[in-house]
Amino acid sequence: MSYFREEFWGDFLFAEYEDFRLKSPGYAIIAVPDAGLVGVIGASHIIKALGMREVGGIDSYIHLPPIAVISRKEVRLPVRIFYRDNLLLIYSEFIPPMHALPQLVRALVHYVERKGAEYLVLMSGIPIPNRFEVDKLRTYYIATTPKALELVKGVDIIPFENGYLVGPYALLLKESVRLRFNSIILLTESFMEFPDPEASARNIQIFSKITGLKIDVKELLEQAEIIRLKARDTMKNVVHNLAQMRKEYEYAVPLHI
Amino acid sequence: MSYEDEFDRLIKRIRELEKKTWEYIESEMRRAFTEVRREFESVERMLSPSWSHDGYLKPLYSIRDEGNYYAIYIDLPRVDEGSIDVRFKENKVLIRAKLKERMKLSPWSGRGGEIGFTEYREVIEVPVSRIDPKRVKVITRKRFVKILIPKD
Repeated sequence: MSYFREEFWGDFLFAEYEDFRLKSPGYAIIAVPDAGLVGVIGASHIIKALGMREVGGIDSYIHLPPIAVISRKEVRLPVRIFYRDNLLLIYSEFIPPMHALPQLVRALVHYVERKGAEYLVLMSGIPIPNRFEVDKLRTYYIATTPKALELVKGVDIIPFENGYLVGPYALLLKESVRLRFNSIILLTESFMEFPDPEASARNIQIFSKITGLKIDVKELLEQAEIIRLKARDTMKNVVHNLAQMRKEYEYAVPLHI
Repeated sequence: MSYEDEFDRLIKRIRELEKKTWEYIESEMRRAFTEVRREFESVERMLSPSWSHDGYLKPLYSIRDEGNYYAIYIDLPRVDEGSIDVRFKENKVLIRAKLKERMKLSPWSGRGGEIGFTEYREVIEVPVSRIDPKRVKVITRKRFVKILIPKD
């Protein structure tokens, strides 16, 4: 593996192993660990299901822990970039430290736009304390522009009207609003502290509907328990990061709406 | 009321205040020590893997304060539900459960190599002085276990 191109956005190195540009309409997904690892579990399934190619990665010797990902004998960067046709997917199993998030988030939104993405789709979990008892999961959405809102027309999901979002996805939404970028976040009810592949599957089904990209979730649901077993260490570390970010604010009711 | 009575009442009040102050300091110290210990335990848990060379896995769990009781939620994917064994010793919950089949980490990670895992094991400390097993409820659903432990 050698770099085709590399550039720095602030303290972050964006490396590409080959040249690529999204076909139209271009969609981007950014998946980082959050409640129930819903985003990363879903993204990992999408990469596999669509046979996406790893075309680049992001690193920072200043802001990210000194990590190298070893994948099929190859050394990869901690934040990985996958691509196929009109879909770009940025994937990380690590949450960058809080002080680095604003800079990284800004760079990510600029990057996906420059690669030809017209929409940014974020998929995460919305933790509910009684998840243990709930079988039918509800999905909420937040759109940053009227064009992004068009995506969910006719899809059976609920607008998230009032409340708080805490973590990297909150920053990605704010940055999208600032840059008038078409972003939408899908938030499916999930566990906070346990990996939740069922919530990931529900997000993917909605993602398929709004983008027209066919992604079967049968295998994801069949493998749900194996994924829960595999994800234990990642989840354990992420829970610690989420607590530092005061993720529990999401349970709070805003006093003024 | 005589001066002696008034004085006795004052002394009694001072002693009561003194006792309450000490009780408050003691409870705050205990709380602070517990928090520091939990923080250490949490860092220790983070730095140690969730599997052992002895062939067992440590499950993910969380403890929630749910009013009159503590609820422990334990995630046990691929577990044989009939084998879940929950025991109590003082303020600790000891859980052991067999996996449906022998598992290896080798398909997914270079670490852990060829170790075959056959069960889950964990010891969970609950913030009560002693658990009364007769008052505990254990609920199993979709390879999750919920243990309800009444507060003291």
